[in-house]
Amino acid sequence: MTAITISNEDFLKFKEFFYRKTGILFDDSKRYFVDKRLIERIQATDSENFRSYFTMVRFEASGNEFQNLVNTMTVNETYFFREEYQFKCLVESLMDEIVSHKKDKSPIRIWSVPSSSGEEPYSIAIYLLEYWSGINDWDVEIMSSDIDTQIIEQAKRGHYSARSVQHLPKPFLAKYFRHENDGYQICDDLRSAVEFSRVNIMETSEVRAYRNMDIIFCRNLLIYFDDASRRQVAEIFYDAMKVGGFVCLGHSESMSRISSLFRVRKFPEAIVYQKPLEHL
Amino acid sequence: MKHILVIDDAATVRLYHRGILENAGYSVDEAINGIEALEKALVKPYDLFIVDVNMPKLDGYGFLKEFRRQDDALQSPAIMVTTEASGSDKQLGYMSGANLYITKPIKPNELVNYARLLLGETL
Amino acid sequence: MAFIKKTATPIHCTEHDERHTERDFADLVAELGAENETARRWAVRDLTPLPDASQPLVARLAYEESASVRAAILNALAQIGDHAAIAGLIHCLRSEDAGLRNEAIEVLKAIPQHVEPVIHTLLNDSDSDVRIFAVNILESLRHKDVEKWLIEVIEKDPHINVCATAVDLLSEVGTERALPALKQLKIRFEDDPYICFTTDLALKRIEDGSQ
Ligand SMILES: C[S@@+](CC[C@H](N)C(=O)[O-])C[C@H]1O[C@@H](n2cnc3c(N)ncnc32)[C@H](O)[C@@H]1O
Repeated sequence: MTAITISNEDFLKFKEFFYRKTGILFDDSKRYFVDKRLIERIQATDSENFRSYFTMVRFEASGNEFQNLVNTMTVNETYFFREEYQFKCLVESLMDEIVSHKKDKSPIRIWSVPSSSGEEPYSIAIYLLEYWSGINDWDVEIMSSDIDTQIIEQAKRGHYSARSVQHLPKPFLAKYFRHENDGYQICDDLRSAVEFSRVNIMETSEVRAYRNMDIIFCRNLLIYFDDASRRQVAEIFYDAMKVGGFVCLGHSESMSRISSLFRVRKFPEAIVYQKPLEHL
Repeated sequence: MKHILVIDDAATVRLYHRGILENAGYSVDEAINGIEALEKALVKPYDLFIVDVNMPKLDGYGFLKEFRRQDDALQSPAIMVTTEASGSDKQLGYMSGANLYITKPIKPNELVNYARLLLGETL
Repeated sequence: MAFIKKTATPIHCTEHDERHTERDFADLVAELGAENETARRWAVRDLTPLPDASQPLVARLAYEESASVRAAILNALAQIGDHAAIAGLIHCLRSEDAGLRNEAIEVLKAIPQHVEPVIHTLLNDSDSDVRIFAVNILESLRHKDVEKWLIEVIEKDPHINVCATAVDLLSEVGTERALPALKQLKIRFEDDPYICFTTDLALKRIEDGSQ
C-alpha cells in the first residue's frame, strides 16, 4: 500500500469545501492537523486517495461521513460553563431585552437542545441564579431535549465527573454539588429546575408542542447536518419562537451556513440571532 | 493599514480580489455571504466592502440594507460587484447603500483605483 | 428560586394558535392570503402534503412579501418536487428580486435530482444569469455527466461570466479530462485577467491533485 498524502492543492480544495459547509476556516498553520485527520478518515473509509474520499464526502446522501469528518475536525466535549461568553450574554443582555418586550408576567421560556448529558441547561440555570437579578421577579422555564433517551436519563440523574465540572468556580461547585462516589452529584433544586424530554429536532410532529420560546440554545448540533436539514430545523425553531426571541449557536457554528430567517444581533459578549420583531 | 472585507460566495473570486488588494497594500478578510459579512462587520471595523450581488442566505443588497440600519457600526463605503448590471439593478444597489457599482469580470487596476477613490486616497 | 417546570404544552392548549386543524384544500388555499404571517406559514405547512399543492403555492410566491413565508413556500416546493413545483422554482431564477432568485437556487441545489432533467435546457437558456445559476446548481448534482457539462460550457458559452463560474466549479470537481478545454478557454479570453487567474488555478489544482 502506498502512503496516502495530501498535496498542497488537495489541502486548499478541502479547506474551501469545509469552510463553505461549516464556516470553519483552517489557516496554513493548521495544515499538519488537517492532513493528519484527513488521512485518518481516508484510511477508515478504505478510500483509495484524497480525491475518491473527497468525492464521497461531497455526494454521500446519508451525510454520515461528513458527520465523522466534523467530529474529527472539532472539539466535542460537553462540560459545565462551556462557551461561557454566551451565558454571560444571556444574563447581561438577552434576558433584559426579552423582559423589556414582555407585555405580561408569563414565564420566560428557554429551550436547550440538544441537552446531551445536561451540562448546558444546568449551566444556564446556575448562571441565571447567580448573575441575573431578574430571577427574583420573573418565572423562568428551562426545557431541554435530546434525541437519545439514555443520555436524557443521565442528564436527569445529574451525576458528573470531575472533568466535566472543572471549569466551574469552586464556590458554585460547593453550593450546587455534592462530592459523591468519585464524582459530583448536582443538587435536587437544580435537577427540578430543568425539564428534560426526548425530541428528534427534525420531526415537525415531535416539536409542535414546543412553542413560544424566548431563547433557544442549539449548540454543536446543526454543524453536523446537511443543508436541507439545517434549513428545516431553522424553520422549526422559527415557529417555536416568540417574535424577538433569540437563537444561540455553538462557537464554531454560524447562521450564515444555516438560514436567513433570523437577524444577526451583536451584543458586547456575543453574536446571537433574533427572530425579527418587525417585517423586514 | 486599511481593512477591506471581500464578500462573495465563489472561493476563486475571493482569492482573486484578495490577491489584488493585498498587493495594493490593504489587509483583506473574506465572507461567503451576507450573513457571514454581518457577523464579521459588526465585530470588526472595515474601511471598505467589496460586495457581490448574488449570494445564498443573504445577497449583497440584503447585506448592505441590514448593515446600514446598524447605527453603531462604522458605515464605510461599499463597492457592489455584479455579473450583469441593468439599470434597475444599479438603482437597487444605490438604494441599499452601495457607493459604486461595477460589472464582472474585474480588472485589477480598476478594483484598486475604485478602492482608492472610495478610501479617499490619492492615486 | 423562580424556576418553574412545565412539560411542553400540547399545541391545542396554547393561547395563540393560528393553526386550525381539519381544513380542506380550498380553505387552505384561501388561508394563503391571510393577513397574519403565522397563519400563512401554517397554511403552507398544511398544504404541503396534499395533492396539487404546488400550483397555489407557486401562485402565492409571486405576491408573498414576508421573508419567512417565502422561505416556507420554497421549502415546501422543494419537498413536493413535482413538475409544477420545479417549474415554479425555476421561474424564480428570472425574478427581478435578487433575494428570491438566490433562495430558489439554494433550494434547487438541495434537490439536484429533480433539476437534472431540465439542467440541459437551463444551461442553454438565452439569459446568461440563468446559465450562471444552472452552473451553480451543478455544484451539488451527483451525476456522471457534470464534468462533461462543465466542459461544454467552457468550450461553447460565449459569456465570460458563465465560463468563469464553470471554471470555479471545475477547480473543485475537475479531472484530467477538463485540461484541454481549460487551456483552450485561457486562449479564448487571453485578455481577461480574471479568466487567466481562475483557469490557472483550476489547472494547478487538477494537475497537482492527480499526482
Ligand atoms: C455534540 S452534542 C452537543 C451537546 C451540547 N449542546 C454542547 O454544545 O456541548 C450532540 C447531541 O445532539 C443529540 N442529537 C443528535 N441528533 C439529534 C436530533 N435530531 N434531535 C435532537 N438531538 C439530537 C445527540 O444525542 C447528542 O447528545
